[in-house]
Order: sequence, then structure tokens, then C-alpha cells
Amino acid sequence: MKTTTIKYILLFVAQAALWNYFNFTQYLLLVFLPVMILCLPTARGPVYLMAVAFVTGLAMDFLVTGQLGLTSLALVPVALLRRPIIQLVFGSELFARGEDLSFHRQGWRKFMLSVLLVTAVFLLVFLWADSAGTRPLWFNALKFALSLVASSAVGVFVAYLMLAESGERWK
Amino acid sequence: MAQGRKTSTFLICAATFILMEVAALALLHGTSTLQNIWINRASHRAMAFLWGSGETVRSHFQLERLNRELQADNARLQERLNAYEAQESARTEQERTGPPPSSSYRYIPATVVKMSRNRTRNYIILDKGSEDGVRPQCGIVSDRGIVGIVEAVDKHYSYGLTLMNPDMNVGARIGGTDIVAPLSWDGLSSTGAVVRNIPPHYAIASGDTVVTSGYSSIFPPEIPIGITGRTRLVDGSTLQVDVALFQDFATVRYVTVVDNLERAEILAVEAAGEDRR
Repeated sequence: MKTTTIKYILLFVAQAALWNYFNFTQYLLLVFLPVMILCLPTARGPVYLMAVAFVTGLAMDFLVTGQLGLTSLALVPVALLRRPIIQLVFGSELFARGEDLSFHRQGWRKFMLSVLLVTAVFLLVFLWADSAGTRPLWFNALKFALSLVASSAVGVFVAYLMLAESGERWK
Repeated sequence: MAQGRKTSTFLICAATFILMEVAALALLHGTSTLQNIWINRASHRAMAFLWGSGETVRSHFQLERLNRELQADNARLQERLNAYEAQESARTEQERTGPPPSSSYRYIPATVVKMSRNRTRNYIILDKGSEDGVRPQCGIVSDRGIVGIVEAVDKHYSYGLTLMNPDMNVGARIGGTDIVAPLSWDGLSSTGAVVRNIPPHYAIASGDTVVTSGYSSIFPPEIPIGITGRTRLVDGSTLQVDVALFQDFATVRYVTVVDNLERAEILAVEAAGEDRR
């Protein structure tokens, strides 16, 4: 089994454990699933990524949230928008040269921006669907802001973990 | 070639995305009550918007038919109202004069097929003819007043002269007074007319309603025509009053043809009187 796949599965388990056992506050949702999708090999097309995102979300819902479809609903748009986000932040040369993302080559600032963007997409859909029109806007806005800051900080670390090997290759 | 591949890739991506989102929503719909209600509400809102828009479009295309139905209803009601009014006035007179007269006017709804508006002598063509009961010298009215008089009739169409014609005079009564004088087009606009030959000793107030006198055998009495405006002394002998017509001839589309069923009798009596003189 490839290292990326193993890392992906391990991070998935970590995310499930985090959601199951660490409920800090109702204003915070710590999530790094979007970063896991972001860090998958660039050679993979959007259809493959969306399928992976859908299955990942479904498994997460089955194991943790109990609301089948909720995480998939939010994670599939991340997979769809991954390519435009990478092109926007890192430039389209990556795809032209067939290179994967590298934490060392691209630098943490760019990674921070891309992690922010994918996390924001995920949180927007997830919080909107999760509240189902029952929570006030200020609550959702506050939860979105806090979760975005915290999840992005964690997300950069997760990206570092996922891309550590490819980074070594480019040193 | 590359462009075609790009398009097909885009379409596949879009289809996959929609499919997966719909699948996720369907799963969510089935597993969570809160989300179930939320999705149902959103779905009902979308359906209401779609069907509501469709209904608006459908209604728009039915306007023509609805207008015709309303026009027919209007004519029927006008006929009945006229009959009731005749009965009511006849009842008061019955004690003195004898048996009550029935309504002597018949109303035929019609649509304007063609109408000239920018000539000195303007005409109108209606989609109702002799087969519908239209006869020459029938009046043409709308819900806003007098439109014209039928001049010639074909099987399915009739030709008439509109009030926008310097030769056409209609007997008009001003306000609640007994002043009856001929009303004709002012020759300038599609909403202007004048009442001529009023004796100078009458004081005409501006804003009075002008109605048909009922002295002619063409139009029923008390049909509102317009509102009086400025009064002028002409040649030092008669007054001339400007009238703002209720009916703007630039917008007339649906009309009612008024047929006086007793016209032949009235004309015969008139002719007999002329002969005797």
C-alpha cells in the first residue's frame, strides 16, 4: 500500500477520534478532512477525488456524526474546487509539469492560503447544512470564523505530515 | 479536438458533482429529521417558485381569452343592468302611463380589428358583422364612453366612424343640468372633444361630467363621455366647452356594439311626422 494511502487512512482515523472524543465547545469544529483531499496527488482527476471525498465523508458520517450524507455534502465541493484553488494559489505549472504539492518547495504561506480556502468551502457547506435553518446567522458566523482559524492552523500541520516525503524529494 | 475533450471533461465533472451532492442530500434526508424538514422546505420553496413562474407565464398567454370572456360578461351585465334600470324607471311611471317597456337596447361585444387614429376622418373595423346582429347605425361604446357609429356591415366584420371625425356629432348633456348640445371631436388629440352651440346665458362649471343625452336613436342615455374643461364664447353668440374624453382612442381595444331594437319604429314615426308637415 502506498504511503499516501496509509497516511490518508491514519489521518481519517485521527479525524474520527477527534470528532468523537474531543468536543471542546459548540462554537468550534476542528476539521482537516479538506486538507487531506487537497494533499492527494495532483495527477488524480476531479472525478476520482470527488469519489474519494464522497466515500470518506460517508464513512465519517457512519462512524461519527450519524447524519449520513452531511460530511459528503460538504467534502465533495472541496474535491471539485481543489484544482482551481491549487491553480490560483500555486500556479498552473504544477499540473503542466505533473508535480505533486510540496511543503518545502511552495512554502507554508501558500499552503496556509490554500488550506484556508478549502477549509472555508467545507465549513460553509457543512455549517449551513448542519444548522438546517434553525440557528441564527451570528451563531453560524461565529462558529465559522473560530473553526476556520483553528482548523486552518491544524490543517497546515496535517498538510506538512501528508506531504513530508514529497518535500524530501525536492530538497 | 482539445476543446472538445475539455468540454466533455467539464460535463463529466459537473454530472459527477451533481450526482454525488444529490446522493448526499438523499442520504441526509433519510437519516436526520431536522435535515429532512430542511430539505423538504427547500424543495417546496423551489417547487413553488417553478410552478408559480409557470403559472404566471400560462396566465399571460390566457389573457386574450380572459379579456374576451370578461368583455362578454360585461356586455351581458350591462344589458341586464339596463333592463333593471328600465324596469325601475318604468315602475315609477307605470302608475301614470301604463305597461312597462322592456329594455330596447341589445349589446354585442366586439374586438377592434383595425382603427385609424392619425387622420382627419378616422374609422374603426370590428370583428362582428351582420351574422352577429350588428346593423348600420348601431352605436359603438366602451366601458369608458362613446367610440363611434357603425356605418357599413359585412357578414363577419363591420366598419364604423369613430368620434375622432369632424362630421360626427353626438347629443350630450352636461352634468345634472338640462343643457343638451352636440358634442364632436376637437380635431387635435385622441382625448379631446368640444360641446358647441350652448346658449350663452348658461354657466358651465369646469369638471362637470358630460353624458349622452339619449335623444338620438343610436346611443342609450346617461353613458359617461368625459369631463368639461374651459368654456369659450364663440362669435359672441354661443358657448363652446372643451371636454376631456374618458376614452383615450389611442388605447381602445375592446368595445360593445349597441343596437337600439326600437330604432326602426322611432325612424318610422319621425318620417311620418316629417311627411305630415
